[in-house]
Amino acid sequence: MVARFFRSRGARKFMANRLAVAAFLVIAGYLLVAGLVWFTGIITLEETLGRIGASYQPGLWGAQRSGKRIEDATFWFEVAQNAADRGDFETARGGVAFYERRLTGELDADEIKARVARGIALAKEVLVVEGFDESASVLPKVDEIDAIVVELFPHPEGWDAFMYGARHVLGTDRQGRSISFRAIYSIKVAVQVGVVTALFAVLFGSFVGAAAAFFGGWIDHAVIWLYSTFSSIPYLVLLSVLVYMFNDTSVDKTLIPLYVAFGLTFWVGPCRVIRGETLKIKELEYIQAATAIGFSRTYILIKHVIPNTAHLMFINASLLFIGAIKGEVILSFLGLGVKSGPSWGIMISQSKAEVVSGFFWQIGTATVLMFVLVLAFNILSDALQDAFDPKHV
Amino acid sequence: MSDPATAPALLEVRDLVKHFPVRGGILNRVVSRVHAVNGVTFDVRKGEILGVVGESGCGKSTLGKTVIRLLEPTDGQIRYEGKPLHELGHRDMMPFRRKMQIIFQDPYSSLNPRLTVRKMLREGIRFHGSVPEAEIDDYIVELIRQVGLRKDAADRFPHEFSGGQRQRIGIARALALKPEFIVADEPVSALDVSIQAQILNLLLDLKENLDLTILFISHDLKVIEHFCDRVLVMYLGHIVEELSCDALHEEAVHPYTKALLGANPINDPDDRRELEVLEGDVPSPFDPPPGCPFAGRCPLVEDRCRQEMPPLVDRKTAGHRVACWAVEE
Ligand SMILES: Nc1ncnc2c1ncn2[C@@H]1O[C@H](COP(=O)(O)OP(=O)(O)OP(=O)(O)O)[C@@H](O)[C@H]1O
Ligand code: SF4
Ligand SMILES: [Mg+2]
Repeated sequence: MVARFFRSRGARKFMANRLAVAAFLVIAGYLLVAGLVWFTGIITLEETLGRIGASYQPGLWGAQRSGKRIEDATFWFEVAQNAADRGDFETARGGVAFYERRLTGELDADEIKARVARGIALAKEVLVVEGFDESASVLPKVDEIDAIVVELFPHPEGWDAFMYGARHVLGTDRQGRSISFRAIYSIKVAVQVGVVTALFAVLFGSFVGAAAAFFGGWIDHAVIWLYSTFSSIPYLVLLSVLVYMFNDTSVDKTLIPLYVAFGLTFWVGPCRVIRGETLKIKELEYIQAATAIGFSRTYILIKHVIPNTAHLMFINASLLFIGAIKGEVILSFLGLGVKSGPSWGIMISQSKAEVVSGFFWQIGTATVLMFVLVLAFNILSDALQDAFDPKHV
Repeated sequence: MSDPATAPALLEVRDLVKHFPVRGGILNRVVSRVHAVNGVTFDVRKGEILGVVGESGCGKSTLGKTVIRLLEPTDGQIRYEGKPLHELGHRDMMPFRRKMQIIFQDPYSSLNPRLTVRKMLREGIRFHGSVPEAEIDDYIVELIRQVGLRKDAADRFPHEFSGGQRQRIGIARALALKPEFIVADEPVSALDVSIQAQILNLLLDLKENLDLTILFISHDLKVIEHFCDRVLVMYLGHIVEELSCDALHEEAVHPYTKALLGANPINDPDDRRELEVLEGDVPSPFDPPPGCPFAGRCPLVEDRCRQEMPPLVDRKTAGHRVACWAVEE
């Protein structure tokens, strides 16, 4: 079956289109990341919500003002202080292991407290006495603070070091959370919304559309009425209603309101297209040949009609996937979509204030990731159309 | 084999009518009806090849598809070996579905592009259990050989074949269920002339070997004359003349049949020119005028023709019927 698919005319045509293959690989990359996040928990939800350092840190370890470095150090001092206050070093290590840099095991609680105190005192000196002035007298003190942090939290090694780097590579947002991890976790959220919506909408819509056209009569009338009604409801409005309906329930913080809104409105597209195609197919002579053999109507619908609409299902699925992702981002931007956890929409919404002050790391990361995915999908669905639509052959 | 001229009727068609509703307007009501087949009566005798000839749109395909119940008749009776097909439900039709098969005009739209030849053939054979499960593969190989295709054709998809080869696959599909009666709906008119002859010879061979009865539809009287035992000449949903093919040129009396004979040959299937000797337009099948359907183009037209429909009456020669006022008894 698979081998046959690759021998088919459409598949060969698709493979010859380099851009399409590149787009396909890009999408496969996104799906792989989403799968990794989903199945291996390589990035957990908590990690996207916790602080990892100072706020508004630029990405790619960009040049830092001393004020930022002190802010970052202060964050680590707080972490160390909390651990030392609890006095329990095993737990403390566990607690801070979250940040990948582990508390050095040789220092005892008093030692840690002393160093934290010295570091904080130094920081205050720089901040209060010297201000943010990057003069010769400030820099040595800042270096000394850094040294204390490194003593308290030795740099991690191996895989931990890689994750530490990955976490910081694109900087942090206002709350000191990792932009890279939030953006990557958003891939999973987006793909999840896209896949669930596209699968449901295409399978349900196609089947209903094909059955309506094939059986005709009142079934067709009912389906036309149903999709005209649903397509006249904008999903934004529907979703607002759903959000208020689910407000303060256990469903509120999940993606379910999104699924319901997209599911109710998105099936209309494939339903229309597949209905039209079925109207055409059912007049073809191979359907009459199947009737002449004596197969039942249902068998003919399932075995002879629906498989011949598969190319349209693929194209529709890729369009809806993108539609759902864009919808999720827009709704999350408006505060109606994803409620707990990151999403590109939430990231873009949060970066409104940052952009004004010239900090582009958050909005940049979210939009670039989304742009690449949407572009790749548009290229893919064009190529699919070219390759598999009989009219283009 | 019995002589077709005296053989018993396999299929009896009586006053068969098929109208297609035409919907329109915002309410999608039935605004008019296409009178595709307008009360035709004829027999198909066991073992014969009965031709149906007529211009494009005269209802040939509709007739062929209605007699095997691919389309539901609007009115009239169809009897197969005496059994009233028009009264049977889906389940009771099953044995007749096996016995009656059809070959289509367009070799491109008549094969499901997603099925290999083997799957296409096996599907129907299994459904009817016409061959024991263990022998199906051998049977398919034999079928493919019988219609003149290479053995490796079995695992190919329709788009890998040429038009003529596809038509052979269509024939194999029709034969797979071991039918007795086959409707061949212009099986060669979409093919090149050189290939037409091959397919017609194949059909003739198969007919002899498998003892088939064929209803052969064509717009080309030349093909019919060579291929068929008898012919029905159709005009706008009516049979206007029925006669033996042996003496077509000598015995044909209906002005339309004569025009068709004069206008031969139309070898090019795309050539749908108006017949040269005929003037005037084919009346619209939507709203047929009273009287003879041919009146608008007939060189012999009389007043009576426009008011009264000429009945299809027997002539002196056995099996010759004609519907025309101008033909004397
Ligand atoms: N499913 C349908 N719905 C409505 N009208 C139809 C349908 N099928 C056929 N007709 C009409 O019925 C008439 C007869 O059509 P039919 O296909 O039987 O003609 P034909 O003699 O086979 O012509 P051709 O040589 O072009 O195949 C035509 O006017 C056609 O438009
Ligand atoms: S009945 Fe009249 S119009 Fe019709 S074919 Fe005969 S002569 Fe012509
Ligand atoms: Mg036809």
